[in-house]
Amino acid sequence: MTAASGHVLAAAQALLCLAVAPGLIGLIRWLKARMQNRRGSPVWQPYLDLRKLLAKETVVSVNASWLFRLAPYVVFTSTAAVTFLLPVLAVPLPLDPVGDLLVVVYLLLLGTFFLALAGLDPGSAFGGMGASREMTVAALAEPSIAVAMFALALGAGSTNLGEIVARAMARPADAVSPGYLLAFTALFIVTLAETGRLPVDNPATHLELTMIHEAMVLEYSGRYLALIEWAAALKLLVFFTLLANLFVPWGVATTLGPGALLLAAVTYVAKLAVLAAAVAVFETRVAKLRLFRVPELLSVSFVLALLAITASFLSR
Amino acid sequence: MNDAFAQLAMLGSSLVLITSFLLLWRRGTPAHVSALAIQSIALGATAGLVGYFADKHELYLVAVLLIALKGVGIPVLLHRMARRLGPARHVPPYVNTATSLLAGALLVLLAYVVMRPLVEASPLPTRAGMPLAMGVVFVSLFVIVSRRHALAQVIGFLMLENGIALLAVLGTYGIPLIVEIGVFLDAMMGFLVMQIVVYHIHQTFQSLDVEQLNRLRR
Amino acid sequence: MSEPALFLLLLGGPVLGAVLAAAIPGAPRTTRALVALLAAGSLAGALGLAARVVAGGVPTWGPEGLFRVDALSAVLAVCVAFVGALAMGLGPGGGHAAPGEGRRFRALASLFAATMLIAVTTGNVAVMWVAIEATTITSALLVPLHVSRASVEASWKYILIGSVGIALAFVGTVLAYFDFATVAGPQESALRWTVLMDAAPALHPAAMQLSFVFILVGYGTKAGLAPMHTWLPDAHAEAPAALSAMMSGVLLAVALYAIVRWKAVVALAVDGPVPDGLLMGLGVISLGVAALSLTGQRHYKRLLAYSSIEHTGLMCLGLALGPLGVFASMLHLVNHTAAKSMMFLLSGRILGRYRTADIREVSGLLRTMPVTGGLFAAGALALVGLPPGGLFLSKLALLRAGFATGHGWLMALVLALLAVAFVAVVAQLNRMLYGAARTDLPAGETERWALVPLAVCVLVLLVLGLVLPDPLEILLQDIVTMVER
Repeated sequence: MTAASGHVLAAAQALLCLAVAPGLIGLIRWLKARMQNRRGSPVWQPYLDLRKLLAKETVVSVNASWLFRLAPYVVFTSTAAVTFLLPVLAVPLPLDPVGDLLVVVYLLLLGTFFLALAGLDPGSAFGGMGASREMTVAALAEPSIAVAMFALALGAGSTNLGEIVARAMARPADAVSPGYLLAFTALFIVTLAETGRLPVDNPATHLELTMIHEAMVLEYSGRYLALIEWAAALKLLVFFTLLANLFVPWGVATTLGPGALLLAAVTYVAKLAVLAAAVAVFETRVAKLRLFRVPELLSVSFVLALLAITASFLSR
Repeated sequence: MNDAFAQLAMLGSSLVLITSFLLLWRRGTPAHVSALAIQSIALGATAGLVGYFADKHELYLVAVLLIALKGVGIPVLLHRMARRLGPARHVPPYVNTATSLLAGALLVLLAYVVMRPLVEASPLPTRAGMPLAMGVVFVSLFVIVSRRHALAQVIGFLMLENGIALLAVLGTYGIPLIVEIGVFLDAMMGFLVMQIVVYHIHQTFQSLDVEQLNRLRR
Repeated sequence: MSEPALFLLLLGGPVLGAVLAAAIPGAPRTTRALVALLAAGSLAGALGLAARVVAGGVPTWGPEGLFRVDALSAVLAVCVAFVGALAMGLGPGGGHAAPGEGRRFRALASLFAATMLIAVTTGNVAVMWVAIEATTITSALLVPLHVSRASVEASWKYILIGSVGIALAFVGTVLAYFDFATVAGPQESALRWTVLMDAAPALHPAAMQLSFVFILVGYGTKAGLAPMHTWLPDAHAEAPAALSAMMSGVLLAVALYAIVRWKAVVALAVDGPVPDGLLMGLGVISLGVAALSLTGQRHYKRLLAYSSIEHTGLMCLGLALGPLGVFASMLHLVNHTAAKSMMFLLSGRILGRYRTADIREVSGLLRTMPVTGGLFAAGALALVGLPPGGLFLSKLALLRAGFATGHGWLMALVLALLAVAFVAVVAQLNRMLYGAARTDLPAGETERWALVPLAVCVLVLLVLGLVLPDPLEILLQDIVTMVER
């Protein structure tokens, strides 16, 4: 793989992610609607929403500072930056040396942090509440992400994403080993928490008692809101990609031939669809947890991650 | 072949362990009972798996007994009991859920530590699961001492027995059948007697909170 | 009589008794007599088997040596059958008749005795475990013979803690079997004591050590060793007198029997101080907990229960003190069985008259119930270790064993704890025996016939305090050679 074609591929992957992300949200909404016997809006509805928001006027509170204006860009770019590092279609990538698990996790956290700051900035009641809740969840989710990642890294002997994928591809049977399954479950729970899905947060409502993400971004409108929504969709996609390609890397291309890439793209979309279906089923089945039970859910995830480490480290 | 066997046995034992964590996390007797049912079925499946790969056909019988008795029979009885005794006021455990979960994880680590010499001594492909079985034993013990609801304690005890059965299956491909059947009979009788006492508790105390059973301190 | 016939007499007696008591409603006099007779027959069987063992035989019966009686089994079988006969003869209240409860009691208590007898006479580790687990099941239903808040609480603690303990003992058994199967390949015979003993030197020390920890905690729970003893005072206090007698007199001993058996195996496999250290630690903790709980105890059945913890602790300690210690410990077991079963049966008589278990409300016992009071005093004094009771000798031997094996400081601690227990028990005894007789209660003994078998216990204690009969000495020496092989 030449360096140039590698960079082209990385850019193409990032663009693909940007393009696919709103569709993923749309797919989940559509599946959920179907499962609840509603017709639901079409899968491409989020694209229409984004277009409309981008065209609309932006209203900013008089109390808001420059931070409020800056935050959407930080959130969007930090999340978009992650997509350059992910092993979406092929490994190894030229950016692999910086494509570290920890970089990915902390880029995402940077976005969360700025979003929380922006929630606090205009001084509205809901923004502050949402920010405080978001930080609580993030603080609890962080350790389980780190520990689950280390369970993977221990198996591969490296925190480098490309290496982990390569290793998992070399030993496909590991995908059903308890360490992987436990880490997968832990990361899945964290994904739900970090991306504001049920049972931690309900993305479909603006119920003041329970909302987290929606409370934080309540002050935003127009293109700022579009950026934030897009970034949120992208974040979900990033987590899904991690879940799909780190744990079950079947289909990821190791050469740059068009056939291999096409196959990789098809399997990737299929895996995303499966995960979307899983989330939709899950969200239909469970009720939202009361806020003070969220820490319990996250400690479940932490325990699973810890067990994953135990299983992959001690039983070697 | 052996690799797949080891992998599958490990998978089964992890499932059994995870279900014992369900007991720490979820609330309410129905959730606990279904955790027990899932665990027993996973255990039965693991036993059947070991029976198939290790060519120990009496383990099939053990698997069937496990699934029929503890996967179906006892859960049905427990569900009926929970219904008959009415929806109980929520009885909080002595140790809160998040702490319980962490304690459970530490207990599993402890199980790895104490089982290390045994795992090293064993030549069987299933050996890697033994610490998990011991983990089930420890976690169930923790459930018994940290819960206040009588039925939660009973379910913890049944899970403890599951942990031991898993240990026997993984460590030695099962104990001799005749013993296994004796153990089963005992477990069943023990459960029935516990059930009687639980009814007594409900009748005399109008609740299944064992915190009320404290008249005899000293 | 042939050996199978003796086994049948020993084990079949209580089983048949249980069937009879359950089948015939209302517990008429004839059933009661029949059940008692069968229990006495069981005792005769035990004595017959013991005689065989003394003569140098090892009676075995059943496929693959399912039942095998060596010296240790013989001693325990005689103890169990003796207390069983006593309990069946006197009924649930220890001579004080409680109407309507006789049938359930006789049926379940006979089964209880049968399970204990199976546990001590089987040659198979796992069958022993099954039998000991069954003792919990059969006896737990008897604790709440009258349903009350206290008795339900006691039975819940008993069945839960007892079952968990036994389950842990099973973990230990599985681990030991695992070790055996790893070393010698899986085979059914591995669960026989004899095979296990022969294979023991080759087993992995680390695995056997872990297994012994589980076994000690598990069977120790059943034996009432602190800190797993919490069920014991409650269950003993709330159970009917005869069941308390069986539990305290022999159930604890049966659990200890299991520990002794396993200790013999582990001592061959593990070459280090850990097993003995564990035994010593649990023994001393039990002794300490019991001595402290005895002081200021207001409930005489609980007093007796804590005294059982004290004595079990002593026996456990003795097991770690070399050959003389094992000898003393086993002698202590026999003495304790005689003394404690009598005391609990007497407490049933006292409870029947005074209708309270509070020591402060029992005064003038010697005037109200002269013979009962006298026997109670004799038993209590024997229990605290005054000569010429048998427990004096066994305690003395135990302490000597401790000093001889170089545990001087430990023995000093033990002596101090024994002194605390002594003062506590004697002080409470004084309060019960003397003082003004309660005027609201009739004076004099009822059901005098029940006192005769109890007096036999005192006689046994006296004899054991003065001489050591040859057959018993032979049996005890055999046990020592088995354990300290």
